[in-house]
Amino acid sequence: MNYTIATIAPIFLLPFFAFVINCVLIKKVPKIVPWISIAGIVGAFFYASAIFMDFMNVYNTDYYIHKVFNWIDISHGENIFKIDLGIYIDNMTAVMLLMVTGVASLIHIFSSWYMKGDVRWERFFLYLSLFTSAMLGLVLSDNLLSVFMFWEVMGFCSYSLIGFYFEKEEAGNASLKAFMTTRVGDVFFLLGILAIWSVVGSVDFPSIYAAIADGAFTGKTVFGMSLATFSAFCIFCGTIGKSAQFPLQVWLPDAMMGPTPCSALIHAATMVAAGVYLSLRAYPLIYVGELNILIAYIGGITAFGAATIAIIQKDLKAVLAYSTISQLGYMVLGIGVGSYNAAFMHLITHAIFKACLFLAAGSVIHSYHTKYMPEMGGLRKKLPYTWIAMWCCTLAIAGVPFFSGFVSKDRILGDALYMMLYSGIGSYSIPAILGFIGAFLTPFYMFRMMFLTFHGKNRNKEKYDHCHKEHIKWNQNVPLLILSVFTLGVFFSGSMTGQGMIKVAHQKLEWFKVLIEAPVDGGLEKFKSYTKQDFSFVDTRENIPTERSLYDSHYHTGFAGQGFDAKSEQAHDDLHHAHVEGAVASVVIVFFSVLLAFAMYIFGWINPAFFYNKLGFWVKAIKNKYFFDWFYIDVLIKKGLLRLNRFLSWFDSGIYDRYAIDGWATVNRYIFKASHWFDRVVVDSIAVDGTAVGTQIFSLVTKSIQSGYIQKYIIALVGAIVVISMFLGF
Amino acid sequence: MITLKAYLFISLVLFVTGLVIMLSRKNIVAILLGIELILNAAALNFVAYSKYTAANLDGHIFALFIIVIAAAEAAVGLAIVIRFFQVKESVHIDEASDLREELTR
Amino acid sequence: MFSDILFLSASTLIIASCVLMMWTKNLMHSCIYLLGVLIGVAGLYLTLGADFVAATQVMVYVGGVVILMLFAIMLTGGKDYQSKTQKILGLLPLMGSKYTFMWGTATAMVFGFCQIYFFRHLFTALEVQETTSNQYAPTVEKLGELLITDHVVAFEISSVLLLGALVGAAIIARPRKDRPAFLEPVDHHHDEHGEDHH
Repeated sequence: MNYTIATIAPIFLLPFFAFVINCVLIKKVPKIVPWISIAGIVGAFFYASAIFMDFMNVYNTDYYIHKVFNWIDISHGENIFKIDLGIYIDNMTAVMLLMVTGVASLIHIFSSWYMKGDVRWERFFLYLSLFTSAMLGLVLSDNLLSVFMFWEVMGFCSYSLIGFYFEKEEAGNASLKAFMTTRVGDVFFLLGILAIWSVVGSVDFPSIYAAIADGAFTGKTVFGMSLATFSAFCIFCGTIGKSAQFPLQVWLPDAMMGPTPCSALIHAATMVAAGVYLSLRAYPLIYVGELNILIAYIGGITAFGAATIAIIQKDLKAVLAYSTISQLGYMVLGIGVGSYNAAFMHLITHAIFKACLFLAAGSVIHSYHTKYMPEMGGLRKKLPYTWIAMWCCTLAIAGVPFFSGFVSKDRILGDALYMMLYSGIGSYSIPAILGFIGAFLTPFYMFRMMFLTFHGKNRNKEKYDHCHKEHIKWNQNVPLLILSVFTLGVFFSGSMTGQGMIKVAHQKLEWFKVLIEAPVDGGLEKFKSYTKQDFSFVDTRENIPTERSLYDSHYHTGFAGQGFDAKSEQAHDDLHHAHVEGAVASVVIVFFSVLLAFAMYIFGWINPAFFYNKLGFWVKAIKNKYFFDWFYIDVLIKKGLLRLNRFLSWFDSGIYDRYAIDGWATVNRYIFKASHWFDRVVVDSIAVDGTAVGTQIFSLVTKSIQSGYIQKYIIALVGAIVVISMFLGF
Repeated sequence: MITLKAYLFISLVLFVTGLVIMLSRKNIVAILLGIELILNAAALNFVAYSKYTAANLDGHIFALFIIVIAAAEAAVGLAIVIRFFQVKESVHIDEASDLREELTR
Repeated sequence: MFSDILFLSASTLIIASCVLMMWTKNLMHSCIYLLGVLIGVAGLYLTLGADFVAATQVMVYVGGVVILMLFAIMLTGGKDYQSKTQKILGLLPLMGSKYTFMWGTATAMVFGFCQIYFFRHLFTALEVQETTSNQYAPTVEKLGELLITDHVVAFEISSVLLLGALVGAAIIARPRKDRPAFLEPVDHHHDEHGEDHH
């Protein structure tokens, strides 16, 4: 495929143009708005597919495309200040583009059913198009600056969509909360960009990778810590805000106030994944900054804590919201333990099954007119297709073998186990154990949700009778079924389990593992001699070896324990053992978890109330979401920030206004009085009036000459000529 | 033999006549007649000097331009006179003194 | 020889016309005498070998300006006025009054003699340089060439000036709404009925 700007830019531009056109049309022809949005994103999907096919065709980890154009250049001599924008496409981008456009297309289509007839439902598509274009722009971006810009556009879209039903006060508050909370992370993110700029002098990814490969970060410190650590931490703070990680996770459950399709697209599948995507892009920085351990802790805590909260939720969407946080925690844990490939794979698989889960939840809510599970039950007879799709996704997220969640999540857990058991770094054990406990809880709460919703007896007859039986509908269940097909593990790993226990014949079935390679150690080599050229179109197709990388050569270095010296024979064996053990452990864990769920909610062997009463304090903590909202709002904001504000306001009015401003006013009054006297006496009386009187006297003299009689003038003229000629003559 | 002096004398006669007319007449049209005479005196001087002191025809060119300007002046001046007459019902030169301050006599 | 005769007759015509022009009381006559002066000047141009200037003089002045003057005199009544002021200007010469004519003549005489007296050395100096070439060559061709080469800017500007004068004259002289009441046509018929109705 011959790449030009015309083959890449439409991915971003088609949804963006859809947004612009819709802005114009929304008042005149609102009916056409959803169709334009859908057309824009489906068009982008075809372009993204073409790129993906090309990358699959080349099939090499070293293949990337970098297109740069100049945006701002105010360099002056030695002082170089130049900002370039550009497009950077490697294997990760290609996969990400396909995922975003595909999921977004299906969600757009679903929205045309879900939102139809709702208030301002045309505007919803406006936001969706803008959001999708921003997300695609972020994925295509080659530098952190434009990533940040698109990041903020997505933040705005998120704000608008959470507060979509702004008539409700909770929705308004939730949107504000989401916006302000993510802002905390964004400030650090911007700081991180500046820190990187200070070292690299540029913020595009290849330059950063090249700088890391050349050792530009070594020996530089800031605030007593290594600059690499500092900048990696700041970038990771962006991830914490956007992906709702441990200290800043409070906004995501409240974000469920928005319409369900937007929750599916933004708060589950893509935007929150953008945070993880950013961390993956900045992975070499995290690696050289040795930030892995902190990230692993944050991921483990998030994965575990959110899973516990999800257990007792009554709201269908809230369960999914907390499961989203938990799964994002797994991705971050994967980054922390150096499982670059698996973390990205989990991002993709999670995006697909979580989008499907949310859409299915939307389908249930829209058909059943409530989102509270205690009023549901036995819905599988009314909504059979939704039921099937949701089961597929539940099995995937639960980590049942042969489904995509198992492939990705258990590779993360296997790497965590490796770090715990074999790496010799003992502090990794806590995140790993938290991850495994989370893996126990995940199937439980998901199965609980399924059982409460679709199985057992119905608990609200009126609504059940009111609910119509589901038929196949192109914009209701078909997107769900399409997405649920891709929850099968075979699409991502030919070995089904992800541990390579079954080797398959054709290498391309392991495409994910082979293609996605962390840009550290070996993966960083290709950037070593990288120099950016203006208006260049770096296509590495020329440089890549003709013989394609083989499955075996990439198997060990390609995905696991990235950057942790996984190259030695011993390490290979350890890694292999860890993965086998991890797989077995997760299968066992999932089995018992599912068994517990069946025992509680299907067979009724164990009463859930028993645990609920027994673990009183724990339940209280979970009910209050570990007191985070209380801490942030009541303690931090009400007790701390508001008091500070009150003090500052007192300072402003009592000190600053009274002394500085009023004092200055008094001084000015005296100055005014003095200048007024000067004005009146000196300027007015002497200068102005004096001039006037002088002019009057002079005019009395001169005006007698200007009589207005022309002939008098002529006489004067003649006299003058006579006098002049006298002078000339003598 | 006719000398330059003769022409200059004629020119002076023309000029003085124009001056006398300008000074003695109270009718604006008459004053314009005087101006025509003065312009002619100047043109005659130019042509005479051109003949007697210079080898080129620049004096003729000047005379031509003087004629052109006199024609333009006559057109505009007479238009003003007619307009003046419409407003003031008179072409007395002393009437054209609206812009001066009223002198206290 | 011919040029001498022409010079003498033309200068005689000029001086006579000038005197009559000053002397006459009737403005219309004065204008006719101006005609004589202009024709005399054209004759002088001929003696100076300026054939084209002479022709232009006759065409523009005699054919154009004097006619305009006549029209203006006729349109404004051609009335001669007495001086209105009593002071200095009251003493100024007024045509037809010996008393005032003497003033004008005296002024002019003083001026003329001053000129001759003060510039007398100029005349004597010029006489030395005088050329006596009596070859009369046609000047039209040379003048045309000069007008479109050396003096082309002045030529073009003068054309613009003429256009401006034409338009300006038309605009200035056109009748307006605010003209005096005596120029308005009086509609007696309307007045009679208007009084009845009110």
